[in-house]
Amino acid sequence: MRTPAHHKTVPHALGVFGIYLLGLCLLLFSTLVDAQEKQPKELPTVQMMNPAAEFWRDVRQRSAPVSGKTQVGGVETGVLINATGDRWRQFRMSQLIPISGYILGGMVILLVAFYAIRGRVPIEGGMSEHKLPRYTGYERMIHWFMASIFIFLAVTGLILLFGRPLLIPVLGKEGFSILASASKEGHNLMGPLFLLALVMIIIQFVRRNIYQKGDLSWLIRGGGIIGKKHVPSNFFNMGEKTMFWLLVFVGGLIGVSGLILVFPVLGLGREIMALAHVGHAIGAILMITVIIGHIYIGTVGMEGAIEGMKTGYCDLNWAKEHHDLWASKAEENGEALSNQEVAKMRGDRGSVPPVHSGLQESGK
Amino acid sequence: MARMKFYCDPERCIECNACVTACKNENEVPWGVNRRRVVTIKDGDPGERSLSVACMHCSDAPCATVCPVDCFYTTQDGVVLHDKDICIGCGYCFYACPFGAPQFPEDGAFATRGKMDKCTFCAGGPEADHSADEHRKYGSNRLAEGKLPLCAEMCSTKALLAGDADVISDVYRKRIINRGAAVLARGVSFQDASFRAPSNLGGKSSSQE
Repeated sequence: MRTPAHHKTVPHALGVFGIYLLGLCLLLFSTLVDAQEKQPKELPTVQMMNPAAEFWRDVRQRSAPVSGKTQVGGVETGVLINATGDRWRQFRMSQLIPISGYILGGMVILLVAFYAIRGRVPIEGGMSEHKLPRYTGYERMIHWFMASIFIFLAVTGLILLFGRPLLIPVLGKEGFSILASASKEGHNLMGPLFLLALVMIIIQFVRRNIYQKGDLSWLIRGGGIIGKKHVPSNFFNMGEKTMFWLLVFVGGLIGVSGLILVFPVLGLGREIMALAHVGHAIGAILMITVIIGHIYIGTVGMEGAIEGMKTGYCDLNWAKEHHDLWASKAEENGEALSNQEVAKMRGDRGSVPPVHSGLQESGK
Repeated sequence: MARMKFYCDPERCIECNACVTACKNENEVPWGVNRRRVVTIKDGDPGERSLSVACMHCSDAPCATVCPVDCFYTTQDGVVLHDKDICIGCGYCFYACPFGAPQFPEDGAFATRGKMDKCTFCAGGPEADHSADEHRKYGSNRLAEGKLPLCAEMCSTKALLAGDADVISDVYRKRIINRGAAVLARGVSFQDASFRAPSNLGGKSSSQE
C-alpha cells in the first residue's frame, strides 16, 4: 500500500520545490534591483572602528605584534600581553610532561621486554685468545667525559621536568626545592661543558662515522636485531653512526638552546627563550631515549660490547662478529695481540708487574 | 571573602609613572626589576592610551601552573604570591606570564638568574607579617595594615584601581555609563548616548555677538 502513495508524493514534492526555487529567484532578483536603485542615493560607507575595542585588540596583539613605549627598561617591557606564554604553558603541561614520560617509560619497558625475549647477545665463538686495540686512552677519556656530563645533565634535567608530580609528594616542597635548586645550578654550570665534550667527540670520531657502502644493507637487515645472523660492518656500524650524527645535530641543538636559556641577560625575549626551551626539551628527551638504548647494549644487552671502551681492547671474536670489515683488516695488519700481552701492557694482572710502555695511551 | 584585583582605566591614565616610582620605593625592589610599568600604545598617534601593568593576580595563574617547584600560592584575599625560599630561579613563570610580572634579578650562576621577583599586591610574603625577613625579600606588607597597594592609592587620576574586585568593577562600570557609549562606539554622539539628564542649553552661548 505504501509504494503507490510514495509515487504520488514525489511529483508533488518536486512541484513544491519548484515553487520555492522560483520564489527564491524572484527574491534575489528583487533585491538586486533594489540595491541598484538605492546605491546612488546612499553615502559611501566608511569602516568605523570602535576605538576602545581597537585599543584592547592592540593590547592583546590580536592582529599584529604591538610594542608600546615605556619608561621602564628591560626585555619586552613595552609588551602588555605576552601572546606566546600561554601556548608555551600548554606545551609544557599537557604535552611535554606526559608525552616524554610515556616515551621514556616505554623505552625502558621495551628494553626489559627485549631482554626477556632475546636475552644477552653472546659472542658466538666465545672469548678468544686474542684482542684488538679499539680505542686509545684519549678516545676513552673523551667518551667517559661526555658520558658523565650527559648522565648528570639528563638526571638533573629530568628532576626539573618530573619533580613536581613525582618528587614533591615524596620529599615535600622544601626538600624538593633544595634538590631542584642544586639540580638547576649544576645543570647550568655543567651544561656548557657538554658543548666542549661534543666538539672533542666530533673531532675525534667524525671520520669513522661517515656513512659507507655496507650501511644500507645493515639498515635493511635491522642491524641483526631480528634473527641470529650478524651483519658485517666497519669500525662503527650504521646504528652507531646514526647515534653519532644524532648526537652532533640534536646535541648541538640542545647545547645552543641551553646557552640561550642560561643567559636571559642576552635579552632575546620570551618567545625565543620559550622556543629554545621547546627545542631543548624535545631534543633532550630524544637523546636520552637513544642513550638508554646505547647504555643497554653496552651493559646488559651484548657480551663484550663495553670491553673496548673500558680497557681499550676488544675481543677478536667479538670484533669479527660485530665489526667484521674492520676486524679482518686489523687482523691482516697484525694488530691482534694475545690476552697475555694486553694484560702485561695494562698491568691488570697481579702476577704480571705493570709495564709503563706508553702503548696503552697510543692504543698500539 | 574579598578578591583583590587591579584595574587600570586607559581613559584616565596620564602616563605619569607615579605608580612605578611608588612601587619601586615602597617595596625596595631589587636592581633591574620593576614590578609595575606604564606602557603607552600608539604614542603620539590618534588613539594614544596608556596602561599601568603589574601582576594581575590571576584566579588561575599560569606562573603557578608551570612552576617546577610549586612555589606559588594564592592568599585568602586572592593575591598570588610566591615563596622565595622555594623558588629556584628557573624563569618558567617569566615565559608563561601574559603580563611580564615575574622577572629575573641579576644574581646567581653567571650573575643572570636569581630568585624571581614579582608584584605582591603589597601583601609581603609567607613570613610573619612585618618581619625583617619579609621586608627584605618581598617589600612592604600594606594589606596586613589594612591598606591597599601604594601604586593605586597614590594614583593622581584614579586610573589605577586596586581592591575588592566587586567594588572596583562597580566603580569602573559607573565610569563607563557616565562616559556613555561615545567612547565605546563612535558614531553615536556623546549627548545622545549620555545617561545624564539634558541641561536644556539649546540656543545658549557665552557670547551673543
